[in-house]
Amino acid sequence: MRYLPSAPGEDRALLDAIGVKTPEELLKGVPAELLLNRPLDLPPTSSELEVLRDLERLAEKNARFRTRFLGAGAYAHFIPTAIDMQVGRQEWFTAYTPYQPEISQGTLQHIFEYQTIICDLTGLDVTNASLYDGGTACLEAALMAVRVQKKRSKVLVSAGLHPHYREVMRSGFASHEGLELVEVALNDGVTDPSDLAAKLDDTVAAVLVGYPNFLGSVENLSVLSETVHAKGALLISVTMESLVFGWLEAPGKLGTDIACGEAMSFGNKTTFGGPFLGFIAVKDAHKREIPGRVVGQTKDLEGRTGFVLTLTAREQHIRRDKATSNICSNQGLIALRANMFLQLAGPEGLAGLAAQNVAKAQYLRTRLLELPDWKAVNDRLFFNEFVLEYTGDWKAAETALHAEGILPGLDLTPYGFPNQILWCATEINTRHQIEHLIEVLARVASVVG
Amino acid sequence: MSLRSRESLIFDRSVPGKIGLDLPKLDVPEAKDLRPAKLKRSGFDALPSCTEPEVIRHFTRLSKDNYGVDDGLYPLGSCTMKHNPRLNEKVAALPGFAESHPMAGDSLIQGNLELLYTLQEWLKEVTGLDAVTLQPSAGAAGELTGVLLIRAYHLSHGRKRKVILIPDAAHGTNPATAAMAGYEVVDIASGADGTVSFEDVTDPVSGKVKQGFLSLVAEYKEDIAGLMITNPNTLGIFEYRIKDICDAIHAVGGLVYMDGANMNALVGVARPGDFGVDVMHMNLHKTMSTPHGGGGPGAGPVACRKVLEPFLPRPVVVRETAKVGEGEVPHHTYRWDWDRPHSIGKVHTYFGNFGMLVRALTYCTSHGGDGLRTATLRAIVNANYIRKELEGVYHLPVTSPSMHEVVFNDAIQAKKDVHTLDIAKRLIDYGFHPPTVYFPMVVSGALMIEPTESEGKDELDAFIHAMKEIARETEENPDLLHQAPVTAPLRRLDETTAARKPILRWVKA
Repeated sequence: MRYLPSAPGEDRALLDAIGVKTPEELLKGVPAELLLNRPLDLPPTSSELEVLRDLERLAEKNARFRTRFLGAGAYAHFIPTAIDMQVGRQEWFTAYTPYQPEISQGTLQHIFEYQTIICDLTGLDVTNASLYDGGTACLEAALMAVRVQKKRSKVLVSAGLHPHYREVMRSGFASHEGLELVEVALNDGVTDPSDLAAKLDDTVAAVLVGYPNFLGSVENLSVLSETVHAKGALLISVTMESLVFGWLEAPGKLGTDIACGEAMSFGNKTTFGGPFLGFIAVKDAHKREIPGRVVGQTKDLEGRTGFVLTLTAREQHIRRDKATSNICSNQGLIALRANMFLQLAGPEGLAGLAAQNVAKAQYLRTRLLELPDWKAVNDRLFFNEFVLEYTGDWKAAETALHAEGILPGLDLTPYGFPNQILWCATEINTRHQIEHLIEVLARVASVVG
Repeated sequence: MSLRSRESLIFDRSVPGKIGLDLPKLDVPEAKDLRPAKLKRSGFDALPSCTEPEVIRHFTRLSKDNYGVDDGLYPLGSCTMKHNPRLNEKVAALPGFAESHPMAGDSLIQGNLELLYTLQEWLKEVTGLDAVTLQPSAGAAGELTGVLLIRAYHLSHGRKRKVILIPDAAHGTNPATAAMAGYEVVDIASGADGTVSFEDVTDPVSGKVKQGFLSLVAEYKEDIAGLMITNPNTLGIFEYRIKDICDAIHAVGGLVYMDGANMNALVGVARPGDFGVDVMHMNLHKTMSTPHGGGGPGAGPVACRKVLEPFLPRPVVVRETAKVGEGEVPHHTYRWDWDRPHSIGKVHTYFGNFGMLVRALTYCTSHGGDGLRTATLRAIVNANYIRKELEGVYHLPVTSPSMHEVVFNDAIQAKKDVHTLDIAKRLIDYGFHPPTVYFPMVVSGALMIEPTESEGKDELDAFIHAMKEIARETEENPDLLHQAPVTAPLRRLDETTAARKPILRWVKA
């Protein structure tokens, strides 16, 4: 086996030194009746060539699309070539959590820089080394809000959050007796102000809203923050498409107390939804309640600047059942990709990318609305995603688009928005691709019509 | 390691106007700016402006201050720093997998679904359990999923149970998880042999009595929702009474959760399902070699018995086999089953850290059933070789048989005022990553060494030699160890000030 250092002479030397005849003798701590008395019922060892061939065949069983207009929390963006080559360095991808700072300064300094940039994007003071993904980040943010707001036990969540994010929150809240998660309805594409007012009382610890939300609509955080703060609750903004920070004002500057969400858009592929990059950023006053790993700056014995994991008194390996969260790992390598992406882009690149996303999405929407069977459902401000109603036969349209190598937007019918399609356009979609999409949809319409 | 002085922060080098990512000319009309004035991005305070070569050089220099598995033995006990095969990276990057979309319809992702189904089958056979979910993102997320399954099971039987028993040697995530799931945590004492003590244990110094397993079960009885146990435990010792423990917990209607952090000591050798375990997680970033990535991403699938299957996170991948004629190869199709009325819901936004699951299946199919067993045995041989060679040079506080890792402590060196931290830091000067230190907490000054199966005799001998040299230095020149490391990019860092006056981001001067 190519990964195992087995050779008869060496094996023997090790066993002789230990004083046993076979490796099996070393299993003496396991009661004999608990040992597996047969080989595993699994295929045998395979060569690298065979494994690659088999898995390539499996990968080819997925449909591939030259053109994609699907976002809904997982966005296809351009990835600079430098990222893959850098992250392929073993010093990054094979290293462990930086428990030994003297030989982990690379990882620690990268995380410190990543933390700085996430704080900059969100306009808040403190963030961590990352969380699993957008949905679990929402759950952690909500639980943190309840810890901060000691006497308040209810969390309001806008129905405008991704349905999967809301489901992750429900699963997480289910086991917390005394905590309550209540949904606030949407109205005209954004969180309904009157439903929010009706549900917002002095038992509410926090309110979560999308920025933008699942339908692509941008919620007005400055208005919401006044409403929410007036009742003593915290405002949590949830961003699934973090490229928006190149275009919209930082949530922290609009009164948001906790900004959280998903940052996979920075340098990562859609990878069937994971590994992605959850983030949470908070105000300085709440820093000792933040979950997960945090890196801080310090000095070594000779007074040189260096970095260490810090504020560990919050964490499970110290506090055990009193920890702020059970989280232990983070999304290190994905955060590295994001950090490098953001450093390459810089303020100009990020703003430029964001502007192209807005232009492409506006153009796509305009072109779709010129077709007879597409109708606007709201006129909300949007970034690179928006919803339109389709009056034709979506299944037929989808089949025709797939056949043309186009992955269209998401049918929201199963999520409570019948006949509404969520479209996404990014910098990778060319005008030609958009015209091709329109041409196929026009053809479908004329066949059906 | 880098020959230059420490790399400065990127922010100190930013020059406005530089850029490392450019874009094609916009081929559609400029966007209409519909933003209210307040919502327009007002600017950035830190985001740096640099060219591509500057950013690449920055990260390359930083990387040289890291120690990776390819640099040498990485004996972090419990973390299982084994070789990361390059094939696994290549397969995960195949466009068919990497560009697939989580919201795409089932017919478009048959390859992914087949891959997940196949990996589940491997893990079922390896664990001896009946069903698997691949959704949890990491070990701690797997633990939470498992405990939520236990909770859902009890609730479905109309039982409200309050307590989870956890051995005091457990990893901190176990009690943190149980608390997160709303349970009261009760510690079980460890015995002198390093395993769960059945009897109460009296501390020889304080005279305090810590309750053992039997008296706790007798005391809490029907309040016990379950027990979380790591096997082999955090001392690298097999909990030889695991079957009795499972039987006793089952007798009061509780369930047993096994923390599979050390499953790499059991694969192909013994199966938790055969011990009586009801539910467990595995860390694929340990046992199945998905890279640790400087802290993640991981993957923490959960395997369970049939009785817990209805509660698994949704959706669940289902295989359907079309009827075919005699002698023909059956045709399988796969789909997500979302209609799971008893499910605990979702524990990840989509389906887990899929890219890690691809790597894990690649690892499994490369090894095969036989290779997986060989790897386990070699990991045990390597740990026992180190134990044999260092026993006496370092104190072995617990002498029960070691599986994949061995725990020494600093009892011998402490007489010269040399402590675990000094030994760990001195190893850095010898070119090795230190072992896990001060864990498990049941051993004072623990040095937990896990070599993994990836190491040949040469590398093991080099490590043993370094450890012996450090022991010799302790006798001859202990201050040398207090000063260590001296060859690393930095000397010891002031963690106290870091926590007391936290600087958690760069701020423009």
